[in-house]
Amino acid sequence: MESTVTIATFRDIFQNEAEKKSRYSEEYRGLSAQIILDKQDMANLGVKDGQNVLVKNEVGRIVVTAKTSEDDPHPGLAFMVKSPWSNHLIEDDICEMSSPEFKKTSVQVSPSGEDITQISELYLRMKA
Amino acid sequence: MKTGGFSQIKNLCRKGHGHFLSAFTERTAPKADGQEISLDQAIDRAGEILRKAERPLLYGWSNSSLEAQRVGIELAKKLEATIDDTSSFCQGRIMERILTGRLPTCTLDDVRNFADTSIFWGSDPSNSHPRLLSRFAYYPRGEKRQKSYEEERTCIVVDVRKSATTKLCSNYFKVLPGGDADLIASVIAVLEGKIPKFGDKKLMIELGAILRKTEFGVLFPGLGILSSLTDKMDLLESLIAKLNELSAFKVIPTVEHFNTRGFNKLLLEDAGCINRAFFQGGKAIHGPQMSVSIASKKCDAALVIGSDPLSSLPFGTARSLAKVPVIAIDPHRSLTTDAAKVVIPSAIHGLEAGGSAVRMDGVKIDFDPILTASTLSDVQILGMIKEAI
Repeated sequence: MESTVTIATFRDIFQNEAEKKSRYSEEYRGLSAQIILDKQDMANLGVKDGQNVLVKNEVGRIVVTAKTSEDDPHPGLAFMVKSPWSNHLIEDDICEMSSPEFKKTSVQVSPSGEDITQISELYLRMKA
Repeated sequence: MKTGGFSQIKNLCRKGHGHFLSAFTERTAPKADGQEISLDQAIDRAGEILRKAERPLLYGWSNSSLEAQRVGIELAKKLEATIDDTSSFCQGRIMERILTGRLPTCTLDDVRNFADTSIFWGSDPSNSHPRLLSRFAYYPRGEKRQKSYEEERTCIVVDVRKSATTKLCSNYFKVLPGGDADLIASVIAVLEGKIPKFGDKKLMIELGAILRKTEFGVLFPGLGILSSLTDKMDLLESLIAKLNELSAFKVIPTVEHFNTRGFNKLLLEDAGCINRAFFQGGKAIHGPQMSVSIASKKCDAALVIGSDPLSSLPFGTARSLAKVPVIAIDPHRSLTTDAAKVVIPSAIHGLEAGGSAVRMDGVKIDFDPILTASTLSDVQILGMIKEAI
């Protein structure tokens, strides 16, 4: 089971506070490594709140927690807090008139039995 | 307060609370190749790396004081380096229009005293600038707005999602990712008395009615609208020009860091551009090739100050930076300091180091330290590196 969705990133003040205290904390990872999906997309994927999903595209792949959106229906559109996890999926090719697609990145989402991607793993991939 | 520290903190926003607590967590120590060394040795190593570099990149700057930023620009000239700041990937294109007079602006004090309509377009101040609504845009009783949010102020949110700010504002207009240009075209059409081509016509007419009644309006754009408009920034200028035919309408970009505008202003005055500059023979060359995204792939050394690009920038840029010798000047441990060849600890601005900064509305602010610092400030460190080179 796999769905293609567009990710728009956003800011979260609780995650921001956790980041200021420590980027390496469980609190920061918990508030960062999650994707907020439309109720219908959650149903299509067969996942429930708190289950892990693989989110990938041609840029990268991460495993994060799925969370059901409380917003009005927005099938095909997902939200992630801006973080090293979301940035792992963002293309960085830019031109004078554009910035990276922090607000409109296409990804494939599928249920996953893997553990949440650790920040240490993201770091190792950058160094590789 | 107690000498050299604090016993309790009150009345801070959540960001400020995190800022204070950060004084005691994940502090950096002078390091080279992962080994702790003395500060002087770290400065020497930094000087050596930059002296040998043929294509150095100097990045960060938005969390540094004006004094440190000035030294940074001097350093870029001396090294014939590329210099860029966080606005390159954020609100640079709006800030440039503000600083060059292409978009009208005002101060936050003007907002508090006079504004009756605030539009948060692609921005969510409840999460990014938690005091913006309470101190300036919505709740306070200003000089001409004594009846404030109860009767005289209106807040409008345009966003792809129902953000926390939408829950405080009664007027929410949903936009699809990439749909901002069409929405702006519809707003302009409504203001011209035409039928809008895009969006819910009834909602567009309602929005037009609010804007027509406005006496003093302010647009607070966020990254959302910037990401969406790409090469159609002229549409934003057209919208503001149209609104100014009806009333006074200003723009204040909701920049993320405390002194982004300061760096943009200094570089503009010095080099004629707000970011993405390469100095050669005392002259600045400006363009996308000098953005951190591209420069990170071409540089042979980087100095990163007050920023964590390995966390905050796209994977490709982060990976490029992780592969060159990085000198990281930062109070806190981060992915960037972990990857850095040399780490130089710095004092936290506003807590341990004083200086001055330009607020997002252009007001210069001087600040003093309130805690005793155990390390040097950015400006002191940069001065020592400059001498070491």
